[in-house]
Amino acid sequence: MPAEDMGKLSEKLRLTFAVSTVVCVLALAISPLKDFRAEWKHYKRWFVKYAQTRPDTKKLLADYAPNIDQVWLPGMNVTDRCTTCHQGITQSSLADASVPQPFRAHPPVPHNVRQWGCTICHRGQGPATEVAEAHETTLAWEQPILPAHFLQASCGRCHQSDFKEGPQLARGRELLTHLNCQGCHKLNNLDRPTLGPDLSSVGYKVTREWIYKWLKEPRTILDNDGNVAMNGYENEPEPRMPNFRLNEEELKALSGFLSVQKAKPIEKYKINPAVVTAWSKKPDLISQGEVRFRQMMCTTCHSLAVTRAGETKMIGGDIGPELTKVGSKVNEEWLVAWLRNPKSYLERNNMPRYGWSDEDLYKVSQYVMNKLTDSDLLANVPQLGTPTDQEINTGKRLFAEKGCASCHALNGIAPQKEFGPDLTALGSKNASELEFSKAKIDHNLVSYIQMKLQDPLSVNPAARMPQYHWEQADLEAVTTALLSQTGPAATSALQHLEVPRKESSFQAVGAFAEVYERYKCYACHRFNGYGGTLAPDLSFEGSRARQKWIAEFLKNPQTIRPTLILRMPQFNMSDKDASIAAEYLSIAVQNPSVDPQSVDARQFTPAMVSLGKELYEVKYQCQSCHTIGATGGYVGPNLNNAGNWLTPAWIEAWLRNPQTLQPDTIEPRRAFTEEEIRALTAYLLTLRAAIKPLTAAKATAPALAERGAGR
Amino acid sequence: MKPKLGVLAVFFGAAFCSFVLGGCGKSAAEVKPAVAFGTYDTEVDWNDNNRLIPLGYQESQGKRVFYQYCVWCHADATPAGPSNRSNVTPTPPLMNDGEKLNGESSEYLQNIITLGGSALGKSAMMPPYGKTLSADEITSVIAFTRAIAQPAYQKPGRPGSQYAGKP
Repeated sequence: MPAEDMGKLSEKLRLTFAVSTVVCVLALAISPLKDFRAEWKHYKRWFVKYAQTRPDTKKLLADYAPNIDQVWLPGMNVTDRCTTCHQGITQSSLADASVPQPFRAHPPVPHNVRQWGCTICHRGQGPATEVAEAHETTLAWEQPILPAHFLQASCGRCHQSDFKEGPQLARGRELLTHLNCQGCHKLNNLDRPTLGPDLSSVGYKVTREWIYKWLKEPRTILDNDGNVAMNGYENEPEPRMPNFRLNEEELKALSGFLSVQKAKPIEKYKINPAVVTAWSKKPDLISQGEVRFRQMMCTTCHSLAVTRAGETKMIGGDIGPELTKVGSKVNEEWLVAWLRNPKSYLERNNMPRYGWSDEDLYKVSQYVMNKLTDSDLLANVPQLGTPTDQEINTGKRLFAEKGCASCHALNGIAPQKEFGPDLTALGSKNASELEFSKAKIDHNLVSYIQMKLQDPLSVNPAARMPQYHWEQADLEAVTTALLSQTGPAATSALQHLEVPRKESSFQAVGAFAEVYERYKCYACHRFNGYGGTLAPDLSFEGSRARQKWIAEFLKNPQTIRPTLILRMPQFNMSDKDASIAAEYLSIAVQNPSVDPQSVDARQFTPAMVSLGKELYEVKYQCQSCHTIGATGGYVGPNLNNAGNWLTPAWIEAWLRNPQTLQPDTIEPRRAFTEEEIRALTAYLLTLRAAIKPLTAAKATAPALAERGAGR
Repeated sequence: MKPKLGVLAVFFGAAFCSFVLGGCGKSAAEVKPAVAFGTYDTEVDWNDNNRLIPLGYQESQGKRVFYQYCVWCHADATPAGPSNRSNVTPTPPLMNDGEKLNGESSEYLQNIITLGGSALGKSAMMPPYGKTLSADEITSVIAFTRAIAQPAYQKPGRPGSQYAGKP
């Protein structure tokens, strides 16, 4: 290259260099400029301005630093930068709703933000520094924040046992258990499910037509407008049986197959013909049967639809099936055999074995068969006749294919393992992993779960999942419980935080075991954490009640709590059974902290009794909740017979601290002196009103009940 | 060499413009002030079945405590059906009665729940709950009462402060 050309070239080169230098400098300036304009810095500056308008500026800005703030908890996999913008989160003076977000203080919770971070509970993207990336689903960040309404799902990740602070979560878990979702899906940390009835001998119980109707349309109770009057599962107005959307052929085949299931012949019982002849002509046979039905408190476990003033309501309990139309369902021969000895039909069931006289058995069975009926129930069902072999074979195949065996036991058909998808990690799924099909809903996990529960076909046209009908609150509760199924903890530190579910068991022994099983005490009562929750926990009954009182109560149960609608059934228990149960309960189920020898009733003087009466009536005014005689409140048990009912040691221990004996009791713990405790005990022991025998007047009691709870 | 530099320059220029413009697009004024994620829980207005009152975390904890301990005497409908309110004299106030309760300070309510009625010269029929409920639980019940109050509860401002009288 000639020397003179070098200069020209270098000039061009110089110009290029100059331009590219400027471009490079500008390019390098992008990053600091972008950083200066970062979204989070805007919130930093805004907070300073906002703090300056408040009277406590100094306190609010004491820890202020203009950079990114983060909570870093490596053991728990937490890197949360939320406090960069949510700067007032620990400032108690910013709790008011008038404080603009994101500066409002967090409400007081047991978990401190510096020790737990934010995303453990709220989910979302902790490390993100932009509003959208932190809270919503973006291309790079998939976990959106959990709506506050479903927040209890996060509690459920660690709190696997009973969790009273999260009622919605607890209700959702109860429903997952009650509806036996575990029959088809794998789920974690739930109680043992309650299964549907065993169908091994169902052919003796119901007709093929009824099965057809039930499979086609499990819900049959309608109000005047033809709408389903009741919804939700609180009182079992809706059967647990969902709708499987079967076609005509499938309905015929399955009903045919089930109607020939007769594994074990029923124990036929012939009611004494003399009783039948005497009663069948009496005009009040049915009404007398109804009186007996009510006296025996069948509605404690079974519910009935009652229509008053055009409004249909379910009244009764949900331990046994709803009985409004049972007379149009079961065979009379089966009903009599079942009432006499439930075990002869089903080995495992919750129905107590009542002591029946032939007269009662005839009256009640006639009432059920003739009054609890609906002539229109099977109106639209074709006459099906005897099933063909082909129908039976198809039915058998369908029983396995549709997943019936997951809930119902049937001879020779084992439930399929992993029938539905594993849901143990459903709560941590990203929206991109879900199939939304053509459903017009927001593409996020919460909407997906709710849509899938409401209408399984909308998000998957080929879904096998049956159709349930939910009340809004129940739908949200189940969604919360499903969102809490987030799979195994991400880090070992989180595993250590898990509060495991308590496993409990109770084994009745000796002669009591037979009584316990015969009357199904566990269906309603709880013993050391095992059993139902409808009736009082009997884990410490031996310390509380006197043996003689227990025996008398079992033979003739009287309600101690006047407002209860669901009461102890009248079992017609024999003297022998009652004394076995009373002896066992008073010796074997005691609270070790209540020493029966600690109180000697002989020490009580009339002066102490009158002091106790004064304390009860004037100083502490216990009558606001307890009834003595005919006056007083009905929040607590009535104390008319307290002297015969309660042991002195129990009364004293209870007055000292009721919560140690029964943690969830609403009776407040008071600051009684020892002298006051003794005086109150002395007074209560003088209350001995005899139990009145049962009268027929009670027959109308359940009709008075407006709401079926009473727990 | 030359074309490459040109491409580089154009690339940087374009990138610069897009960054700056992008940054402008997210200017502070356009950022949503709060992201709405719903309320923690709700309670039906006792005077109007069609109105739902949103509850925050603390208020919802108060709702739980209320429906276990207080509802029996301080409401006309209870989970078991009938209410014990009519058995108690003097008749206890309904928990949503703003006319009676809005005027009482939260400190006073905290005291009467903790120590009982007799300690404050009121009816002994209101028992003390200080040994049964924690202070936080009692505070949350008061928060719940304030949330459901009819007429609505207005938080008192500090006398003389610039916030006095503001809702």
